[in-house]
Amino acid sequence: MNWLYSSAKRAILIQLGFAIILLSISFIFFLNTKANLANEGIFLGFGFLSGEAGFDVNESLIQYSASDSYARVLLVGLLNTLELAFFCIIGSTTIGVCMGILRAGNNFLGKNLSLVYIECMRNLPKLLILLAIFIALVNKLPHVKQAWSFLDLFFVSNRAIYYSVINWSSATQITLAGWLLWAVLCFFYKKRVNRIQDLTGFRKPFFIPAILGFILIPLIPTIFGINYEVSIPMLKGFDYRGGGRFSIQFVTLALTLSIYHGGQIAELVRGGIQSVPKGQIEAAKALNLPESTIMMKITMPQAMRMIVPPLGNQYLNLIKNTSIALAIGYSDLVSVMSTSINQTFRPIELMAVVMTIYLAISLITTALLNWFNRSTRIIER
Amino acid sequence: MISSADKQNTDLPTDNIVITAIIWTKKNLFNSVFDTIVTVVIAFFLFKTVPPLLSWFFFDASGLFSDPETCKNSTGACWPFIREKSRFILFGTFPYEEQWRAAIASIAVISMVVIMMLKKLTFKQFMILWFIGTVTFLWFMTGYGFLTPVDTIRWNGLPVFLLLSIFSLLASFPLGVLLALARFQDNYPLLKNMATIYIEIIRGIPLLMVLFMGLFILPIVLPPGMNLEPLFATLIALTLFNAAYFAEDVRGGLQTVTKGQYEAAEALGLSYWQGVRLILLPQVFKNALPAIFNTLIGGYKDTSLVAILGIHDMLSTAKMSYGDPLWQSYGLEAYVFVGSWYFLSCFAISAYGRKLENKMLYETKS
Repeated sequence: MNWLYSSAKRAILIQLGFAIILLSISFIFFLNTKANLANEGIFLGFGFLSGEAGFDVNESLIQYSASDSYARVLLVGLLNTLELAFFCIIGSTTIGVCMGILRAGNNFLGKNLSLVYIECMRNLPKLLILLAIFIALVNKLPHVKQAWSFLDLFFVSNRAIYYSVINWSSATQITLAGWLLWAVLCFFYKKRVNRIQDLTGFRKPFFIPAILGFILIPLIPTIFGINYEVSIPMLKGFDYRGGGRFSIQFVTLALTLSIYHGGQIAELVRGGIQSVPKGQIEAAKALNLPESTIMMKITMPQAMRMIVPPLGNQYLNLIKNTSIALAIGYSDLVSVMSTSINQTFRPIELMAVVMTIYLAISLITTALLNWFNRSTRIIER
Repeated sequence: MISSADKQNTDLPTDNIVITAIIWTKKNLFNSVFDTIVTVVIAFFLFKTVPPLLSWFFFDASGLFSDPETCKNSTGACWPFIREKSRFILFGTFPYEEQWRAAIASIAVISMVVIMMLKKLTFKQFMILWFIGTVTFLWFMTGYGFLTPVDTIRWNGLPVFLLLSIFSLLASFPLGVLLALARFQDNYPLLKNMATIYIEIIRGIPLLMVLFMGLFILPIVLPPGMNLEPLFATLIALTLFNAAYFAEDVRGGLQTVTKGQYEAAEALGLSYWQGVRLILLPQVFKNALPAIFNTLIGGYKDTSLVAILGIHDMLSTAKMSYGDPLWQSYGLEAYVFVGSWYFLSCFAISAYGRKLENKMLYETKS
């Protein structure tokens, strides 16, 4: 029995045992599945994906009707999930960074408001926040016929938020071309500003003129008498026609996930800012840098290195959390899957497809974040 | 230790309250131009939101003990709704005369958790405590033996929530530790890869998907004729889900333990499991405690997602409580009620986490 004392051989033996157990469990599951499916008269296969879905979704980024296939309805769900995640990432980052800075700052009101906000988000489940906001919006916002109007361009009702859209025309083309040109100009001007600062120590104004340019460029077509074509939502019958719309479900979800993850991001930002050594800020103050410059040039770049890795995790969680859309009937990936399962009773295939999609999203996001992490890392000289 | 800011304060003439107040205001609210803008914006925001909220909550609301009829004329909250419906939110459709049993079962589980937090238990005491708790819970809920049996379909509200959250978290923690240890075995590539694949897959998909799998896939892979109640399928799904997250936290803790520690354990002649129990895990728990408590609170809160799949936890009964046409417009009151339960319990858990963290810090210093 000497060979038992060799750790390499023992490892092989233990793993062999483990493999046998794992394989036999899988085999039992396989047999059970086969028996169960045979009882129900179902055969596995992905052929049904091209069959007619036969149900409608409440909103879609691409053309979709009930006669389209299951594959297409899953694509609609995926696009809705990604759209929601996109808005939530922007929303939660904005709220989180503002609240985190307030929490780490010295303003009495800001510090405490942020504390209350972070604690609420930490201690309340997202589903509860979602349902509470949903019924609050549905009950307190006006009906479509009495929708609140903002400048006659935006309309808020308890069914959807309607907004005006600028149509693609020569005016928008000029503006876009102008912005592109301005961006290139700014890029080279920035290089020049940096060089001059390196040489002389004086910094020419850059940020304000650049922003001003972006704001003024859309006026150029109007000056030359080319008008924008705006599609304004109009009340016709029971609903608005024209323009764009965000359904109340989408607005509720975007709001909920933004504030929920905003609270978590705020905590990360606070931790990041407080991890910056005090000496750094004192040194900056000794150099008589203004408060805003200290924040932008000294505190934030160093805090970012602490914030970015967990922030990536937050984004991943956020993308996964968009699945609570099912609770209020927004057609995201999971909710479309759930309807399809109820119609076809093909849980195995549908879940395999949706799981693969989620795993792919996770992998792609992780790869992007790793790339971003590498680019914000300290580059040692 | 007195920071420089405090020292400045002590140098000031503090006997005049007005001057102190002015100095405090200047320092904390109007320190710079930016600060002033922030203060004004927040003050405006609070001015716009706090009075309507307060009047909804207190001034315009019908009091808890007033007549429900008064709600019709008031613009504020309708607290008689809570008086009327709190029992439904807590126990749902559990047979009305038997609801004392659901109450006792819930209290049993809550007191187990409280005892666990307040007293330092040995492993044996812990197991006995939980055995008693589980048996009490299941016995009172099912009524097995000499009480009227109640089907799990009628289990609702608080007991279901406690069953799913507390029991799934308790079961998933050891599972998570095992997974994390398996992921650390460089000499056992099969074990390591299997654990890694499991953890990464579960962490890559939403909880809702895992719950769907529990409800749809689990019955398919079980032997034909074996009927798994949705409640227990959910419990298994939650356990498997939380285990992956705990495993990730524990792995973070394992990475902070240096190699010398393992080698020292081996040199002392400890077996692998002795080394894990006596050397590794105490250090891992200390290092990973904040992360573990984050996962704990997250898992506790996210148990509420089972409401989406038709398991009637407290959020679900709250939703049903205002489905009654008579009470239709009082949904927010129901959510305030459930929300305060979540807020208080999560607050207690995080307070306990902080206490534990401080204690461990203190123990290492002394």
